Amino acid sequence: MATQLVAGNMAVIIGALYAGCDCFFGYPITPASEILHEASRYFPKLSRKFVQAESEEAAINMAYGAASAGHRVLAASSGPGMSLKQEGITYLAGSEIPCVIVDIQRAGPGLGNIGPEQSDYNQACKGGGHGSYKNIVLAPNSVQEMCDFAMEAFKLAFKYRNPAIILADGVLGHMVEPLRFPQKAVVPEIDISWAVNGNAATKGNVLTSIFLNFDELERHNLKLQEKYLKIGDNETAFEEYKVDDADVVLVAYGISSRIAKTAVDIARSRGIKTGLYRPITIYPFPDKRLSELAGRGCRFISVEMSNGQMRDDIRLATGCAIVELVCRYGGNLMQIDQIMQKIRELT
Amino acid sequence: MNPNELGTYAKNTWCPGCGNFSIFNAVRAVLAELNYDGTPIDNVVLVSGIGCHAKIVDYLNVNSFYSIHGRTLPVAMGIKLGNPDLNVICFSGDGDCLAEGLDHLIFAAKRNIDLTLILHNNRVYGLTTGQYTPTSPKGFKGKSTPLGTEEFPINPLELMIASGATFIARGYSHGIDLLKRLFREAILHKGFSFVDVLQVCVSYFNMYEVYNKRVYEVKSSDLGNFEEALKLIRSWNYNDSESPIPLGKFYEIEAPQFDRLFPGYEPHSVDTDAMIKDVLDNLI
Repeated sequence: MATQLVAGNMAVIIGALYAGCDCFFGYPITPASEILHEASRYFPKLSRKFVQAESEEAAINMAYGAASAGHRVLAASSGPGMSLKQEGITYLAGSEIPCVIVDIQRAGPGLGNIGPEQSDYNQACKGGGHGSYKNIVLAPNSVQEMCDFAMEAFKLAFKYRNPAIILADGVLGHMVEPLRFPQKAVVPEIDISWAVNGNAATKGNVLTSIFLNFDELERHNLKLQEKYLKIGDNETAFEEYKVDDADVVLVAYGISSRIAKTAVDIARSRGIKTGLYRPITIYPFPDKRLSELAGRGCRFISVEMSNGQMRDDIRLATGCAIVELVCRYGGNLMQIDQIMQKIRELT
Repeated sequence: MNPNELGTYAKNTWCPGCGNFSIFNAVRAVLAELNYDGTPIDNVVLVSGIGCHAKIVDYLNVNSFYSIHGRTLPVAMGIKLGNPDLNVICFSGDGDCLAEGLDHLIFAAKRNIDLTLILHNNRVYGLTTGQYTPTSPKGFKGKSTPLGTEEFPINPLELMIASGATFIARGYSHGIDLLKRLFREAILHKGFSFVDVLQVCVSYFNMYEVYNKRVYEVKSSDLGNFEEALKLIRSWNYNDSESPIPLGKFYEIEAPQFDRLFPGYEPHSVDTDAMIKDVLDNLI
């Protein structure tokens, strides 16, 4: 099996190509542009479609079109571009069209800067556009997972006919690590049971998010909510590190989880029973195990590069009113000392 | 006013040799001159979008608004409509106002709102390190077009004359005297003025040699002649590598300004409560 040193933004493209992705629509934006560049290098060589669109909105609407025809579409952007794409994403969700979108998060709000942050959490996990909808959101924490989760995201997006977001950040996009290439490429076929592919077989299919009749739209919404419940029952994923006997549990995803893991080891070397709980799916949020840990009396610290956006989900999952927060903003990474200080305060 | 008084302490992060320096120097000189001639610098507002061009507002000690990618013009329109007495000058890039914000450019021209737009047209996305833009020539090899783009470029001047712009000109970053003349006239023009500046990006699309060989200055004697202007505008299509590239003012006409269509609103000079009541009573 091929192992190669690659950057996270390249790994996403490798995963997407193995997942049978055949269309990429992008627009330049730092720190996500390398995804655009790598797509432009490899998609045409493999007879797949690549377009640099005229705007972020154009890119997501090209995705809307190609995906509605049953194609496996990838789009990628970062904070300001993701905000622009929200219109397209709510239409994809409302029409139940699968599509994978990568968000290489940068620091905000507004223009912010191009350093890493995790402050698009709410936008990705709570909907982001108008209407009662949810995206499936996967949070990789390594180059390997940038590739593997691209494949997983396509699988889930098509299984549930729903947009799936890979929520990474500027560090994950740019750091270089060894990548084991996927075992086998997916050779997808267009699903004629729902896609609108411009032929007799799919002529009767309707993809829409407009239901002028109030009751009909309510039924459509109820159906969507049922789907989200099912996704929550079946697809939550997480990783644990030394939580079995832990008194203090750090909860962290993405790049922050790697820093938190080091903090766990340091705390343990000083005799403090500490563990790490890493959500891998952040929507659906893996709440059941957290609830068990809360029942056992664990104290929780949310370690995130945002203003407690994930902490709200930890509070809901655990029922604990007090969940501590360790955060950094502005493109700065978490410092181990910060986490250690909070652990010491709790013990 | 000495143009140097318009400088700031912001660290300049344009690459050495960047064409933006010429635009910066020309604008600074013109603003200083206009201040002397009766356009007070305090009534000038600079607006930029996002891209290398946008940093210019950090380098000029003038009222300014560093806005959003593609949204230079709507922000400027808001400022101008809020206070039509301000002199609003917009800086935008080819990615900024011909891609992400193209709709706004067309509508600014269509409305003939009294704004000046200076297009830093380097024909490449510089800040994101080298992708093709709407004005890159066919075959341009950038980071997202390793085999060369298959698309033909937009001729922004042709688009502007078709959309109703009332002042259309083109300058070149290697030619500051002409830039100064064009900027001055564009700022003084009443209505939407559009100045395309062939602004060379030395890092990702260095066109100095090509432009130096091909540019020439025109002095049109019939600036209000649409057909003649169109002919001149079409004499180079941003793609062919042979034709000479005209610089100068190509077109200028007078037309009603959008910003003058609104009746004056003087909140302090009338009895506001009575006025609202009167309008609502008549409505019911």
